This record gives sequence, C-alpha cells and structure tokens, in this order.
Amino acid sequence: MSILEDLSLRAKEHPMRVAFPEGENEKMMQAAYECAEEGAIHAILVGDSEKLRALASERGLDPEKFAYADLQEEELIADIIAKYTALPDTRLKEKALRRRMADPLYFAMVMQAAGEADVTFAGINYTTEDVLLAGQMIIGLKEGISTVSSIGLCEIPGFAGSEGELLAIGDSAVCANPTEEQLADIAISACETVKELLSWEPRCAFISYSTLGSGQGPLIDKVSAAVKIAQEKRPDLKLDGEFQLDAAIVPAVAAKKVKRESEVAGRANILIWPDLNVGNAGVKLIQILGHADAYGPLLQGFKKIICDCSRSAPVSELKGNIIMSAIRAAHAGEV
Amino acid sequence: MERKELEEQIFEMIFQLYKKDVEELTLETTFADDLGGASVLMVGLVSEIENELDVMIQLQEAAACETIGDLVDKVEEEM
Repeated sequence: MSILEDLSLRAKEHPMRVAFPEGENEKMMQAAYECAEEGAIHAILVGDSEKLRALASERGLDPEKFAYADLQEEELIADIIAKYTALPDTRLKEKALRRRMADPLYFAMVMQAAGEADVTFAGINYTTEDVLLAGQMIIGLKEGISTVSSIGLCEIPGFAGSEGELLAIGDSAVCANPTEEQLADIAISACETVKELLSWEPRCAFISYSTLGSGQGPLIDKVSAAVKIAQEKRPDLKLDGEFQLDAAIVPAVAAKKVKRESEVAGRANILIWPDLNVGNAGVKLIQILGHADAYGPLLQGFKKIICDCSRSAPVSELKGNIIMSAIRAAHAGEV
Repeated sequence: MERKELEEQIFEMIFQLYKKDVEELTLETTFADDLGGASVLMVGLVSEIENELDVMIQLQEAAACETIGDLVDKVEEEM
C-alpha cells in the first residue's frame, strides 16, 4: 500500500471539515468532490453558493456532496465574526473583518479560526504569498514559533532509512534564509508536523557540511547555534546536529563520524536544511536522482492547518495534499 | 485627519507593537534595521491601522515600506 493510500484510509476514520475558497476552480472542485465522496473529508465550498451549486451541476457533480459558506449570508457572517472576535489574541475588529471577508480566502480562514472548519485549502489561484499573509493575519502563529515554514514528505524507491522509503525534509519552500532562532523553530515545527501526519517519533537532524565541529565557519555556527536553541526550547524532542547528510541517515557513517551518544545520528527521519538554497537543491536531487515522489509543501507554524497547494497541481496531487492536511488537523490536538 | 496627528497615531501603534520608545521613533526609522523587520509584527501593525484608522493596506505594500515615513505616506494615500 502506498503512503497516500494508507493516509486516505486514516483520513476516513475522522473526516475533517475542509474549507475551499477556490471552489469555482474546476480542478479544485473535482478534488474536493472526490475526497468528500470517498468519505475522507467534509468539503465546504466558500463563495457564491448559488453559482457554486450551478457549477457543480454543470460539471456533472452532485451539489449535495458539498456544504456551502456563502459570502453574503449575514447570519453566518455575524456568527463567525462573534466567535472570532471573542478569541484571545485575534487582530482584526468587526468592521475590518467584514471588509477582509469579502475575499473567500479570508472568509474561509475566519471560519476556521472560529471553529467552523478544520482546514483551509487554497493556492490554485491565490499565490503562496496571499495564503501565508492571510494565515498570519487571521490564524496567527503557534505560541513560541517565530516563522512560517514547510516540510515535504519524500517517498524514495530503494531508500532503506529508519522509516523505510519515507523521509521528511524541510524547509524547501518558504523560509529563505532563516536566522538561528528561525531554524530552530523550523525543526520544532517539523517534529510536530510528522507526529500529526505520520505518528512517527521524530528524530530530527540539522544538516550542514560539518559533523559536530569537523568543519569551521559562520555557516556551521548558525546551524550549531540553532541546534542548541531547539534543544533548550524543546528538550522533549529528539533534535541533534550539526550533521552532514550521510552522518544523519547512514548508520555506518554515523558510527564513524559521531563519537558521542545520539538518538538521531544515522537514523534521522527528518532533515532540516540550513537555508532555502540547500532545501531547493536537496528536494530536486531527491526527486530527479532518487526518482522520489515528494509530497507537500506542508505549511507549518500556524495555529491551525492551512494548505497552499501548487498552482499547477493536477487533481491527484490536490487530493493527496487535502488528505494530508485533514489528517494533520485530526491529530493536531494530540501533539 | 491632519498629517501630524496621523504620524503620532502610527508612532503610538509602533510603540505598542514593537516595544520601542516613541522618542526613539522618527519618520526615517527603518523597519528592517531599526525595528527588526519581523513580519509577525508588521501583520499586527497593518491590522491595527485597519482597526483604528479604517484604512486597508495590503501586507505586501506595508512590507515594501522601508521607513515609518513611507508607511505614513501609504496610509495617507489610502485615507
């Protein structure tokens, strides 16, 4: 069974409410419909409900498979604004919220923050920047986390790592040049993401071109400082480094290069890149040379689960990301 | 609203959010160098401007402002 088939079964155990602010888009509607029909999610289309129903019918989809959140439905708007503004640490007041909620993306996120949806799923028309900024304004960042970031989940044929062919990597998409504090937060968020999604015990390695001081220089200093910050912030997590890639995931190399106890070296299931130059190259190397499927990016750091899909994603990829987001939301309260 | 009053209101918001003394803030104070450039704080500032001045600035536009003066100009344009 592939990882996506396995995740799909898990999603059906606790179908989450997923808000789609781009339901008018044909691929997005199709992906939402298929996930809902398979019982993996409850799909909520956000927008002009009459138009959305008509579009579903035109496309041969049963409009009754969806729930609708209409941008003009005053009773719903008043209800979610009341719930939202009663939350601690929210930023916008009613007048400003009403103005922002004319945009389906903001409407969906206010619904989610107010507890009327579990996930906001967008990105087919909205840019990554749109999604990240709306998320920061409406959902906000988790307590103690200073940056939004992402991880990807790679399924690498023939790779025999500590989780078989699976390996989580981050950040390959969002935070370009993290400070040491941000790098620590990316690793902590990544541990939480894999616990939510895969129920793994995270073993997170900070990647560098040095292993525990074998090299010297400011690039290494940043990574080793980030390790220290992360370990101090979250002593309950297995976070270690700095490690070269081979020392992180190859037990024989770790045995040679890591001369102290480590619960991570040689069997890391999460790799944290030092910056986006490495992250972008890293994921492409894994995909092209390792013939891997890379799922994501899975956004992390927000108080609730938001997904920004690729604008060119086909329906199958959208479905995979919807299901992964739903599972994260179902387990977010447990980590 | 007079320009001076607008400047004072925005200084006060920055004081509250960025925990900087109002006396230290000038129109030339830069967000990146002097205020740490933290985007989380910029989100808070844009929200506060929207709540209190009833002016909606896109976060991208606010993030493009180098100095407090640039942001005051932007808000004034939108009023």
